[in-house]
Amino acid sequence: MRATATGGSNMALTRRQLGANVVAGGVVAGGVVAGGVAAGAAFGIVRNARAASEPVKIGILPLVSHAPTIIAQAQGYFAAQGLAARLVTFQAAEPMAVGIASGDIDFGVTAITGGLVSLADKGAVKVIGGSLAEAKGVEGQKVLASNAAYAKGLTSLAGLKGRSYAVTTAGSSFEYVAYKAAQKAGFPASEIVFRPLQTIPACIAALKTGQVDAWDMLPSVTDPLLKAKVAHAIAAVRDFIPGYQVTAVFTSTANINKRKEVVQRFLAGFARGIDDYDAALVAKTMAPKQIDAIVAEIHKYVFSAMPLDKARAHITHGVMRVNAGAALNVASVADQLQWLNANKLVPAGSTMQRLVDTSFVKTI
Amino acid sequence: MRLLADRLGHRYGTTEVLRDIRIAIGEGEIVCIVGPSGCGKSTFLRMLGGLEQASTGQVLLEGEPPAGSLNPITYIFQDFALLPWRSVEGNIRLVLEDHRLGAAAMRRIVDDVLERTRLAEFRAALPRQLSGGMKQRVAIARALAVRPAVMLMDEPLSALDSQTRELLMDDLVELWTRERFSACYVTHNLAEAVRLGHRVHVLSRRPGRIRETVEIDMPLAERAERAAELEAMQRHIWLIMREEARAADRELADAR
Amino acid sequence: MHDDAPRAAGAGVRPVPFRGGGFRPQTNTYVSLAVFAGLILLWEGGSRAGLISPIALPAPSQVIVALADLVRTGMLWKNLSVSLMRLGVGWVLGSILGIVVGLLIGLFTIARAALLQLTSALFAVPKIALLPLFIVWFGIGESSKIATILFGTFFPTVIATYSGVDNVDRNLIRMAQSFGLSWGSIVRKIILPGALPAILSGLRISSAIAIVLLVAAEMIGAQFGIGAYILQAGSLFAIDQLIAGVTILAVLGLFISWAIGRAERHFLDWRS
Repeated sequence: MRATATGGSNMALTRRQLGANVVAGGVVAGGVVAGGVAAGAAFGIVRNARAASEPVKIGILPLVSHAPTIIAQAQGYFAAQGLAARLVTFQAAEPMAVGIASGDIDFGVTAITGGLVSLADKGAVKVIGGSLAEAKGVEGQKVLASNAAYAKGLTSLAGLKGRSYAVTTAGSSFEYVAYKAAQKAGFPASEIVFRPLQTIPACIAALKTGQVDAWDMLPSVTDPLLKAKVAHAIAAVRDFIPGYQVTAVFTSTANINKRKEVVQRFLAGFARGIDDYDAALVAKTMAPKQIDAIVAEIHKYVFSAMPLDKARAHITHGVMRVNAGAALNVASVADQLQWLNANKLVPAGSTMQRLVDTSFVKTI
Repeated sequence: MRLLADRLGHRYGTTEVLRDIRIAIGEGEIVCIVGPSGCGKSTFLRMLGGLEQASTGQVLLEGEPPAGSLNPITYIFQDFALLPWRSVEGNIRLVLEDHRLGAAAMRRIVDDVLERTRLAEFRAALPRQLSGGMKQRVAIARALAVRPAVMLMDEPLSALDSQTRELLMDDLVELWTRERFSACYVTHNLAEAVRLGHRVHVLSRRPGRIRETVEIDMPLAERAERAAELEAMQRHIWLIMREEARAADRELADAR
Repeated sequence: MHDDAPRAAGAGVRPVPFRGGGFRPQTNTYVSLAVFAGLILLWEGGSRAGLISPIALPAPSQVIVALADLVRTGMLWKNLSVSLMRLGVGWVLGSILGIVVGLLIGLFTIARAALLQLTSALFAVPKIALLPLFIVWFGIGESSKIATILFGTFFPTVIATYSGVDNVDRNLIRMAQSFGLSWGSIVRKIILPGALPAILSGLRISSAIAIVLLVAAEMIGAQFGIGAYILQAGSLFAIDQLIAGVTILAVLGLFISWAIGRAERHFLDWRS
């Protein structure tokens, strides 16, 4: 989930706030709630661990897009692979990435950002699989225009020319999406004025008050805004970035070199988690009772500050697809890397070889 | 101009500190108030100058202050109360600035009082550079600058060592001889009282009342020479005060 | 026994051992510089020998390269000038307002009753938590950045000022009243200068807070500025640039501290 990968430390409470938005219809400062969640979840759960099993730590963010990991853990898929997995909750993607680079955490999921590529270039981490992706037939990310900008003619991607666009930081995936939008509409991305606002709540506040003209986000965030009529959707991201690999699975280079087999076992367990996630939340082919059980497991980590009844809608709405088998869209990753390189947002000469190890999963 | 205390009494909450004080300070008179510590001397002095309100009785002015007096009732404080961030000259100017005298007039007054108190060479010095005695001279110069009709002196020499105190007493006597100022001089030091006072009121312990009044009709200028007679006078006052002082010493401090 | 001239060391005669001294540390510029230089050399050596991972800390030479890049591209001045403007305006306005409100609290019962508890409560509120609201209130232009620094510096200045006013020697005020000084004169000539030491030490603290908040302020839609530079370096994990930006802030902090030290020496030379 790309929002997580880019921004500042407020990422996670961000999402919880978004939940609050739906209820209260306003930007609520939710810092207090987040702390308790982190403390409660930090120790994770270890179930069905076999005595001889291999200990691994998996970093997650309290977001629905991290549900495959939560499900795999809850259903014992990691244990079945002989892994004594422990989930470690982070509130932002950056510390998780650094934790993996330093060896404190073994696996994680985050967006392809300048920060991740920079760590990969230093030889610390590598992308080993794909996660969240834009897919046909599944609701995806949307580009929003503020009401004021919409009224002044920002009704399509072409209207972005000369407009302001909210991003969390330079080199974040927001900037990549805007760049692709400009490319699609046929004008240089330098015509868009980027406003780095660090956090998702800040981006929402700026969009709502018309201080930025446009922004893009996941359906779980955009839909409540659209429903509250505080913004207009002007494009679906999948229409101009087909097959967009939003987030990827990564691990430390040391793990790849020394515990290759553990990496494979992790991915196998993770893939089963993805299958359940898809059946329960995306395709919704699962029996309602089973879906409820899975939602209850996810709720232990995500939207855990609100009662399950309330959280259910937030957890199940607007869920994007995670590639089956953690398959990786290499072309999409390469395109993102090419963009980061072209904009000098990563160390000069960062390559796919240093960023990606394609030996673990199917590539698309 | 005379300053009169008419049956002044005061209490802080339930504690009575002063009772029925009647005193008159005539022109050119130095009236000393002595008493054991805690008898309300300083409170009394604050009331005389309108810095505190009496619970009963009142302070009265009789007659007009002399022409040109900028601040008829002027204090001299035990701790000098000089602004540490102002020079000697600046401290004197402080009390003149609000009177819109004009630059030339102000300069004349400052020069004059610095000359009279022999402080001219210290005019640019800061208080921290001065000894205690010099600081009190600056405070006296500042008081003189506003041409007071009555000076209210609250233990002005108590913060000084005994040698400096002697020197300053000489200075005060000389000043009085020249200028005949009137003053109410509060002290716990009987030697000062008999050196400077035309009249000495002895207060009782709390609640302070006038226990006795001693008139000293020896001219101020002669007193330094007639130490033996003063000594006897001081002894006399001490005998009056001793019991009060002893009792006061054993009291628990409360109410301030 | 009247022979008090010291005798040559005979039986039982010895000097009293010296027991005083110590407890008076002095500063020594050369030692400070040597320690500083030594640490940097150790750091550089450690980085080159591979003892310090480039992920943990970039070598000082890399930081210097990042700083040189900033200078060469002209971005140093571009970033620094906007940051200094935000710092300057926010800090000056916050300080002026803080001194005014601090004086009100220090002088008037009503103001004290109304504002003191409010100030203490708001002082503790982390301004960063309010950033989304600041965007709604002040927009994403300069005003929200300046407001962040203004709010951050306002409260400590209020508290420093009113406690400074509280600590002004009451005898000096009584003296001023006894000479018939007007209320305005007492405030201007007694209370303000008397509170100045406290106000200046408040300014020293608030200047540090202002620098800390610069990074927070530049979280809001800033394209340029040292804080924005640091934030971007952090998100790109360009730690050489990160440390370079932090170094610039540290130098800025040292400079402001030095300037306030000068101001203290100038305005407070009356203190013994």
